[in-house]
Amino acid sequence: MNQIREQIDREIAEHTILIYGKGTKDAPLCGFTLETIEFFNRFGYPFEVIDVLEDMPKRQVLSEMTDWPTLPKVFIAGKFYGDTDILEPMAQSGELQKVLEEAFAGTGVRPTVKLH
Amino acid sequence: MIDEAGIRELILKKIPDAQVRITDMTGTMDHYDIRVRSAAFKGISLIDAHRMVSSALREAHADGRIHAMQIKTEIPENETR
Repeated sequence: MNQIREQIDREIAEHTILIYGKGTKDAPLCGFTLETIEFFNRFGYPFEVIDVLEDMPKRQVLSEMTDWPTLPKVFIAGKFYGDTDILEPMAQSGELQKVLEEAFAGTGVRPTVKLH
Repeated sequence: MIDEAGIRELILKKIPDAQVRITDMTGTMDHYDIRVRSAAFKGISLIDAHRMVSSALREAHADGRIHAMQIKTEIPENETR
């Protein structure tokens, strides 16, 4: 369990926007994972999708550490943001754009699409 | 599989004042869109409001009766956050 947790912590530290989902970016295997990929495509910041569909022990650790039972699970700058049910209202209020700008501030990464 | 009445009952057990609207998204009784309105969401973050709903459905999700769910939570209009 500890090894799994360490691996997750490493992955979260490595990717400013990280989606744990079912399938990959090129081949999402779940409608909600696809929806989340399309959601982040709108913003133009780089993001990573890690497929945990078949990895039940890792899914278990992820659910426990987030108190969130479902996939996908989204982390931005190390903080857990649930899924698009949370992110969509945040995008509508403009809160998410601020979170993303702050998350990427100082990294030199610029969005490839205009945010406003 | 679980029917809409079953989901409603689980949510009401945890959130007694909840107004619940449930849509079977695929017609297969395991993919649900669940909208919950309750004063219990007042003063807590959106993510915690969602945790309240999903924890009410934890077992049904864990044992596979619910395969996928999307949740929307709202505070009744006469209440403010």
